[in-house]
Amino acid sequence: MIAFIAQNLAPIMFGSLILFLLLGYPVAFSLAANGLFFFVLAVELSPYSNDISLAWPLLETLSGRILDVMRNETLLAIPFFTFMGIILEKTGMAEDLLDTIGQLFGPIRGGLAYAVILVGALLAATTGVVAASVMAMGLISLPIMLRYGYDRPLATGVIAASGTLAQIIPPSLVLIVLADQLGRSVGDMYSGAVLPGLMLTGLYLLFVLFMSVVAPAKVPALPVAARTLRGSAWPLLALALAGLAIGYGAYQFFLPRVETGADIWAATVAVVAVYLYALADQHYGFNSLSDLAQRVVIVLVPPLALIFLVLGTIFLGIATPTEGGAMGATGALLMALGKRRLNYTLLSDALEATTRLSSFVLFILIGSRIFSLTFYGINGHIWVEHLFLGLPGGTMGFMIAVNVLVFILGCFIDFFEIAFIVIPLLAPVAEKLGIDLVWFGIILGMNLQTSFLTPPFGFALFYMRSVAPDRPYTDKVTGKVLAGIKTTDIYRGAVAFILLQIIMIIVVVAFPHLSITAAGPKVDPNSIDIQIPFGGAPDAGPPAPPSFN
Amino acid sequence: MQALLRLSRFIDGTTRFIGHHVRWLVLAAVLISAINAVMRKFFDLSSNAWLELQWLLFGAVFMLAASFTLQRNAHIRIDVLSSRWSKRTRDWVDLFGHLFMLAPLTLVMTWLAAPAFLESFRSGERSVNSGGLAVWPAKFLVFAGFLLLFFQMISEVIKRIAVLRGAIADPEPEPVHGHNPEDVTTGGAHAE
Repeated sequence: MIAFIAQNLAPIMFGSLILFLLLGYPVAFSLAANGLFFFVLAVELSPYSNDISLAWPLLETLSGRILDVMRNETLLAIPFFTFMGIILEKTGMAEDLLDTIGQLFGPIRGGLAYAVILVGALLAATTGVVAASVMAMGLISLPIMLRYGYDRPLATGVIAASGTLAQIIPPSLVLIVLADQLGRSVGDMYSGAVLPGLMLTGLYLLFVLFMSVVAPAKVPALPVAARTLRGSAWPLLALALAGLAIGYGAYQFFLPRVETGADIWAATVAVVAVYLYALADQHYGFNSLSDLAQRVVIVLVPPLALIFLVLGTIFLGIATPTEGGAMGATGALLMALGKRRLNYTLLSDALEATTRLSSFVLFILIGSRIFSLTFYGINGHIWVEHLFLGLPGGTMGFMIAVNVLVFILGCFIDFFEIAFIVIPLLAPVAEKLGIDLVWFGIILGMNLQTSFLTPPFGFALFYMRSVAPDRPYTDKVTGKVLAGIKTTDIYRGAVAFILLQIIMIIVVVAFPHLSITAAGPKVDPNSIDIQIPFGGAPDAGPPAPPSFN
Repeated sequence: MQALLRLSRFIDGTTRFIGHHVRWLVLAAVLISAINAVMRKFFDLSSNAWLELQWLLFGAVFMLAASFTLQRNAHIRIDVLSSRWSKRTRDWVDLFGHLFMLAPLTLVMTWLAAPAFLESFRSGERSVNSGGLAVWPAKFLVFAGFLLLFFQMISEVIKRIAVLRGAIADPEPEPVHGHNPEDVTTGGAHAE
């Protein structure tokens, strides 16, 4: 009996971890306590099994392991980006964007849905707090969509899904945590995620286009009376074309002169030129731009500036991802200051939320480090390896199994727990199979993004629920009584987007070069459009920050 | 029981005081990191001391705030099953967890971290990076963090027992970021 336990300690330890976790006691402490408990057991049982390589002196390495967690510069990006997101939420940037872009696209069928997707992607590229995007869009766009007769599941689905874009479009926390756990640089993860993230955004847009053709009643255009910003959008198109031309010229100018990031510099020059023109138009009264065009240009500048500050500096190699987070947070603080929204309470609350998140996330990591000391010491990783290497289908079989596993786990638990408990077990197996870990990480990132949308525990759905009216209410503009949103509406709306996500995961699995920068396609400067200036992966990744583990 | 509850209130007060103040270190870390990046790029000025100071500040934040996070019931739980159990069952689970998981964990870690810190402090150990900082503050944070968690654990045990015996109403808020839609205003930062 004792010999049996000793020889099967790894599966027993893993099973007992699941049992402990299901008790509902904090994950961090359950992990750590399980690690300590089995450490003692393993040392006692070591005479009975060759797999156990633990002895008492090893226990003393634990405080060093915690010190390593503290020294990890990558993880420093977690509080920085969190803090930036919370501050940004209070500056009202999302609200301004939604109002203006909604007016821009409102007159066409499905326009409000396009606006939500584009603003979601833009917010995702600045910082990406899922909660903030979903709630802002739910509060501003949902009432308008309901007022003019959007299909309810579609309206809630598009908002929740666009909010989760924050998870995959850099800078995202998921990618930072995955980079750390997979031992790859955050910069590589970010550049690998750009194209899949934009393609997913495109897929959402195509879906809305498809709906506007097959079921136009579900995505009506704004009636004329609801269009508050006057003027045509044509000057905007001219401006966009001019911007593209300037951008292309600048690209040709920069290409021989800078080592990396000619596309980024070119996009920056184009945006600045367009912005200066819009300012001049307003100031000197050229009258060449309609009010609408004016507003659109002016409202797009703050997010684009932040994107440059964060992603631009990271991709250009000026800042590490951690520093990019710090610069973004500083930029957000300055923006809040400029808008006179910064005060003691706001700052203190934002810092508190950041502190709380940092503390529970880092303690899960500490718990998992204590757990892994024992688990590796009893050859648990070899047990996991055998489990997965025994799967039929080689690399593909492994990828499918892993994705199904993570998808199912994602329905029930948070991505932090998956990232810190499950990923470290899978990474060595993936490496052994010769899988590119950046590609692997991006696929997992997209999969974890889906977990925000899957009923019953998808966070984006909860955020949606919290801002959607749950009982009939009187619309302020039309005076009509509108029915509330049922929770089943929200769940049904998510289904289509979950399917789109799965399609995108399959695409990235099938075409790895979409996310592997070294083999990535050369970027055509024309693909850099004015709203998302980083329309492609940069030619070379930024310098790798120090790696860990 | 009253004496124990007074002890618990004292521990809670101390934890809250620390939790309320360490948050400002996040802001300090943000500003140091941003300034450091700019200085390095444009003035070629940078030192390992500034880099190390960033993670040291962050280390202080999460190590010292962990006990406050426990007090606020904000450490993540997997509540797939437990959310269906009665409040009383969950109280028993917490009491069990505090006594048989958190107590041994904090005791072992405090016991391991104390000599590591003292040794580093006595020997004046410096970081291996040139121009780096002394190492003992980081080691002290590991020790202090787990010690604070140990005391907060005692306070939580006292409160759980008091709640189970009906001596006090539950002072603990519901989990700050459980799967609970009402939490989004405070827990909104969760899901970045």
